[in-house]
Amino acid sequence: MSDNILEIKDLVVHFETDDGIVKAINGLNFNIRREKTLGLVGETGAGKTTTALSVLNLVPDPPGKIKSGTIMLDGKDVLHMTDKELEEMRGNDVAMIFQDPMTALNPVMTVGDQIAESIELHQHVSGKEAFEKAKEMLKMVGISESRAYDYPHQFSGGMRQRVVIAIALACEPKLLLADEPTTALDVTIQAQVLDMMKDLIVRRQMSMLLITHDLGVVADVCDDVAVMYAGRIVEIGTADEVFNATRHPYTEGLFDSLPNLKARGEELVPIKGLMPDPMNLPEGCTFYPRCPYATDACKAKEPQLYHMGGTHYVACTAYQDPNFRLRRNSNG
Amino acid sequence: MIKYILKRLVLMIPTILLTSLLIFWAMDLTGGDPVQIILPENATVEQQEALRESMGLNDPFFVRYFNYMVGIVTGDMGQSYITGLDVFGTFMHRLPMTLALGGTALIVSVIISIPLGIWTAINQNTWKDTLGMILALFGVSMPNFWLGLMLVLLFSLKLGWLPSGGSSGFKYLILPALTVGFGLAALITRTTRSAMLDVVRQDYMTTAKAKGASYNRVIYGHGLRNAMIPIVTAIGMQFSLVMTGSALAETVFSWPGIGLLIVESINKRDTPMVTGSIILCCILMALINLAVDIIYAYCDPRIKAQYSKKG
Repeated sequence: MSDNILEIKDLVVHFETDDGIVKAINGLNFNIRREKTLGLVGETGAGKTTTALSVLNLVPDPPGKIKSGTIMLDGKDVLHMTDKELEEMRGNDVAMIFQDPMTALNPVMTVGDQIAESIELHQHVSGKEAFEKAKEMLKMVGISESRAYDYPHQFSGGMRQRVVIAIALACEPKLLLADEPTTALDVTIQAQVLDMMKDLIVRRQMSMLLITHDLGVVADVCDDVAVMYAGRIVEIGTADEVFNATRHPYTEGLFDSLPNLKARGEELVPIKGLMPDPMNLPEGCTFYPRCPYATDACKAKEPQLYHMGGTHYVACTAYQDPNFRLRRNSNG
Repeated sequence: MIKYILKRLVLMIPTILLTSLLIFWAMDLTGGDPVQIILPENATVEQQEALRESMGLNDPFFVRYFNYMVGIVTGDMGQSYITGLDVFGTFMHRLPMTLALGGTALIVSVIISIPLGIWTAINQNTWKDTLGMILALFGVSMPNFWLGLMLVLLFSLKLGWLPSGGSSGFKYLILPALTVGFGLAALITRTTRSAMLDVVRQDYMTTAKAKGASYNRVIYGHGLRNAMIPIVTAIGMQFSLVMTGSALAETVFSWPGIGLLIVESINKRDTPMVTGSIILCCILMALINLAVDIIYAYCDPRIKAQYSKKG
């Protein structure tokens, strides 16, 4: 058995719309280790959600098309599963927590029924048993069992996200895909929900792909970090490697744009420019138009992944020069 | 919920008062002298005048309206000028025929149109969608009476399979129900399609798929239940129209329902029959609308919660 629960290789996903081809994911590679959490970080539009949907083979088609690549889940290629195998895998081996709990729940079903549904689908128990288990799941995420008969509109945002988490965890999946699970919640609730998720992941020995653009959340929860830009991984490594030995100019930009408590009053440094239009990606390195270190070499060809020691890789042509250092690192 | 229903029933009273006033006024404007219809042709002027006086026809408009409404409240909607029969009784006698026609047409059209609407929605922008929509457009644009005549031409005259009119058995129901049902199906198909198109893009559909629910379970279990509100609205509206407005189809097939009753009564200037029937149709329509609103509550718990709050 491989050490990785999930291995994504050379994944390419395009959305073929009337206006043109949106290149959402362009040769994506990363692995998730067993019982570890990988944080997938990037701006809105970098292809994070599409990545998660690809793992479930649920990219909306049309217009979405998985063009090439392999997604090995526990040694089985998700992209070559039959419909039946997919149905058995979804919710049972891999479950997903969606970004917006306000819309992710079916408004005309009780939350108990919604949790029980996935139990009923995968564990071949009677409806009544499934509902009893659903109540236990509610209790586990900190909601009173008696509320299983209530409808989503009777819950607050934070409570709904707990319900969404209960649905995802109902069948004890091996891998949890959490797509910005706390973005739609207010800050105090964010911490609560995150702590609960952290706790459950460890207790149930699950692996997790945590999609976020909040580096604070990553530092708090993740073992490994992958930074995504325009449908590719630009830097990947353990949280320690990426946070303390940042290599990619884009990752540096992300850190610079964070407020720093120790240097209050200092202006934040945003990354200049905008994410490139995915219908019209620049040649070579997709980040070079915004990169403060860019040279002509960046324009010429797509950067390969450079090994930085340990499990740390970075996709930046500048590392052809062994003496290249980011400002952040050279200042100590 | 019960409070809400009671409130709605009470609110029906002003609606009925207003519509009855309009109908009574409109019938008054059409003129015509009922005395000449009722009395034999050789009746004297004195006899006519005496009858007018005894029927209260010489009273001012509002006095006549008031007397009529008092009659309705006490359960007396007057008698037909032609047959002398009780208006309410005649209407109730005809109602089951229209109910049978409308009900059959509705059931047939729902069975066809909801699956067709879903099918076109999930195959949006393909030839299947186009085919379904062309059929629906055809159904909406085709006049009911013309379709009826064409069906008679084919199935009664040419093939001789089905009777062209009358009402003495199930066989007689098929052609009128098809005629009425076709137009209905077209409308419900279009409503189902647009409701499903809206629903299939919702996040909870992805949640359901991500749980491992099968395609059918996602579409029918999660999707259709959420799309039910506009579909029920369309069905309810169509049903009240069929119940109260299938005069054309009933005339074509001489189907002795309410529509035919009203048409015949208008032709014979049978004022009490016309006024009474139309007021009863209004009440029927209001009741169907109320039923639709109650069905909403069972389709969508959010609406149910609203009802109890307003209660």
